[in-house]
Amino acid sequence: MIAFLSPLYLLAAAAAAVPLLIHLLRRRIGTRVDFPAVRYLARAEREHSRKLRLRNLLLMLLRVAAVLAVVMAAGRPVLRVEGSGHAPTAVAIVFDNSLSTTAIDGDRPVLERLRDRARSVARLSGTDDRIWVVTADGTVYGGGRAAVFDAIERVEPLAFAGDPPRALAAAAALVGQSGLPEREVILLTDGQATTWAEPVTLGDVRIRAWIPGDSAPSNRGVVAAAAVPPRWTPRGAVRARMLTRDSATYRITMDGRTLARGTAARDEEITVRAAPPERGWTAGAVELEPDEMLGDNVRYYAAWIGAAPSVTVHPAAGEFVRTAVEALAEAERIAIGGPIQIVPADEAARLPALLLAPRDPVRIGAANRTLERLNVPWRFGAARRDTASVIASGDSAETGALGSGERIRVALRYPLSSTAPASAETLATAGGSPWIVRGDGYVLVGSPLVPEATTLPIRAAFVPWLAEVVSRALASEGDVLAALPGDRVSRPAGADALELSDGTRSPISGDSVTIPRRAGVYFFLRGEERVGAVVANPEPGESELGRLDPGSLRARLRARDALVETDVREHLGQVFDSAPRRAIGMPLLVLAIALLLAESAIAGTRRTGTA
Amino acid sequence: MARPDLLDPATLASLGGIEIVARWIVDGFLTGLHRSPRKGFSVEFAEHRPYQSGDDLRYIDWKIAARLDRWVVKQYEEETNLRATIVLDVSRSMDWSGAPTRLTKLAYAERLCAALALLFLRQHDAVGLIRFDDRVRTSVPPRSRSRHWRRLVAALDDPGAARATHAPEALEAAGRLISRRGMIVLVSDLLLDPEPVLAVLRGMRRAGHQVTVLHVMDPAERELPQAADAIFVDPESGDEIPATVADVRAAYRATVAEAIAEWRTALTSIGAAYEVVETDAPFGVPLRRAFALRQRLA
Repeated sequence: MIAFLSPLYLLAAAAAAVPLLIHLLRRRIGTRVDFPAVRYLARAEREHSRKLRLRNLLLMLLRVAAVLAVVMAAGRPVLRVEGSGHAPTAVAIVFDNSLSTTAIDGDRPVLERLRDRARSVARLSGTDDRIWVVTADGTVYGGGRAAVFDAIERVEPLAFAGDPPRALAAAAALVGQSGLPEREVILLTDGQATTWAEPVTLGDVRIRAWIPGDSAPSNRGVVAAAAVPPRWTPRGAVRARMLTRDSATYRITMDGRTLARGTAARDEEITVRAAPPERGWTAGAVELEPDEMLGDNVRYYAAWIGAAPSVTVHPAAGEFVRTAVEALAEAERIAIGGPIQIVPADEAARLPALLLAPRDPVRIGAANRTLERLNVPWRFGAARRDTASVIASGDSAETGALGSGERIRVALRYPLSSTAPASAETLATAGGSPWIVRGDGYVLVGSPLVPEATTLPIRAAFVPWLAEVVSRALASEGDVLAALPGDRVSRPAGADALELSDGTRSPISGDSVTIPRRAGVYFFLRGEERVGAVVANPEPGESELGRLDPGSLRARLRARDALVETDVREHLGQVFDSAPRRAIGMPLLVLAIALLLAESAIAGTRRTGTA
Repeated sequence: MARPDLLDPATLASLGGIEIVARWIVDGFLTGLHRSPRKGFSVEFAEHRPYQSGDDLRYIDWKIAARLDRWVVKQYEEETNLRATIVLDVSRSMDWSGAPTRLTKLAYAERLCAALALLFLRQHDAVGLIRFDDRVRTSVPPRSRSRHWRRLVAALDDPGAARATHAPEALEAAGRLISRRGMIVLVSDLLLDPEPVLAVLRGMRRAGHQVTVLHVMDPAERELPQAADAIFVDPESGDEIPATVADVRAAYRATVAEAIAEWRTALTSIGAAYEVVETDAPFGVPLRRAFALRQRLA
């Protein structure tokens, strides 16, 4: 059986038509030549026509065969030598168990087809081989054939995409470090286009990939769901978007009860407003009817429901701050007169507070002393009156408001400097120095919020930013985090446990916590009180099941020798490619030379005979 | 100076007209025989002369050699006992050359005929000329006077080169010009049907005439010219044959060889002499063949 490592070169086989066309058209071209002995020429053709035809046919066949031999050699053919076994090989099977492989393709999930392929490949391994299985989340299984067979049977689908390209690169590195001269990575994947969007550089290793040859099943999925805003006072909304080819019936639940039902049009973003009776942190979901892939038919969200955070604005905070707070209070997003302070730092008496730089530079010293007294690990620097642009950092809701719209500029600022490493999160910088920082119970701004110092108070983003700061950064109820199943997230201040879906507590130690590998809503607990939530949902792109064709996937696999196959037998014939497959490019080139020599000999014999 | 009969025909032809070139050829040819151009080797004894290197040993007088211990050669008075007619093919196929550096077959043949006629006249033979293509164009009866040669040379300029070749009629006319046993020299490229020609020649042989056929060929007719794919057109008949030279060269060469062999066999079988003359060969070569035949006949 012959396979080609560079099959695109076989397109050049069309060149074989050239000698054929010349053979067929040769009598139709030429110039007119006066020649009196035409009677001899006619007699020669008449008497030798059979011999001439045979010779021309032979020459044409030799030329066509030579062209085909060269073209086949360019296609890098390899010939499998049956029954000769293979050299000891380091093989890693990359088993794509991402969420998309749970889609039913035909009568069973793609994952099961991949499992069959993995079993077949593992059976071909010998005792001298080293073999591993690497799943889409980067987990490596090894330790011999038995362990690998066991791992193949135990692999479960992920609730998220994982990172198959990264797993592939890890597998290439794994076999590269094996010490064996023959190294091969078997990629078994559904070929999802969103997964393999970028090229993967794999180095000096053979890649033998298999993907389903049929088109992907159609899929509906919830690709976005969120409580807007995350803190309902007590009114709020659920915003969601579905991936669907046509309309889809959805259901929005909160704490297990139905909040709304409806039908969403294709690519429609739906918003359902509600004022539920629940209070505190509550989980909800947006659901679609089951289809070929169940994992994306539900998408979770979390909301805190209760009274609006109550704010007291210090008179020295400025007119713009006061007006913004009044507007938010009118919209019932916040209340006035409560414990959260908005105050120049030199006037602050307690936390939580939004601390502003004082308007008068002579008050900086007093402000820094107040910060020290409140255990805020930041200090104001010397006044800078140069104009600087504000650059938001991080991806929190507070910084999101800063980064949208027209760029915010600062004319007066006091660069913030930390007195303790990693003491807080920088939300924005100006002139290269921290400008807004956030810590436990405070948000500190390096300028007074007046138009003379910064354009922030006169931007449209100011009121939403202020609402986010008050409700998420300063309110004691905590925040909601978005994550992938299995992610590690930062532990909120004071949280000592994670409440799982079944209501059990999972204690937390350290600054971060790994959330479960299932999609859902998990709450941070301080004692028995919920102090925040993390919502784990799969990547929206995982709902798009469209597949790459073998050529496109192969183009993304930057390896010494990569083949992508859709046929099961062909794929099995390509794995463990070391010994039983022999490159026959050179013999084909020798054959081509021999054919050309034979052609020259026949043509030359004729010429010599007439000389 | 090199002997003109051995020079390249095209080079020699470029040096003068037919008359001058023919004289050079014949003078050179006779010099090459190491004999006096004025004396022949006929049957009437004339005198003795000392032997010179190259003289035919048959004419050494061995009796005198034994008596005087020196070699002398017997010389004879020439006789005019031969009537020859040269039959020249002037059809269009003769007016062709395979290379610009070569004479056309017709130009070569005209110079050869002029030289041949002069040679015969120098031997006091009577020489006539017939030119033909699709019909007899020129008919000059045989005469032995030396002035007759100028007439023959002038007749070579008559019109010709028609789109056909009818040799039998011309040959029959030649036979009628020779009343008694004589010699007929046919100079042609023989691109014609053999059977009628052979039938006439057979009759001439039965009538006692000696027949010589000089088959004029351009070298490019024996070996196809180097061309890729071409349509070969017969200038005489207009027939066209498309061919790829590389494919048919060998077959063509074999066919020409077969045709020559057929002519040779057929002519030999009726007692006629046959010689292939290529237009790049010096004139001395065909001249020697024709002269040898004349000598046997004389």
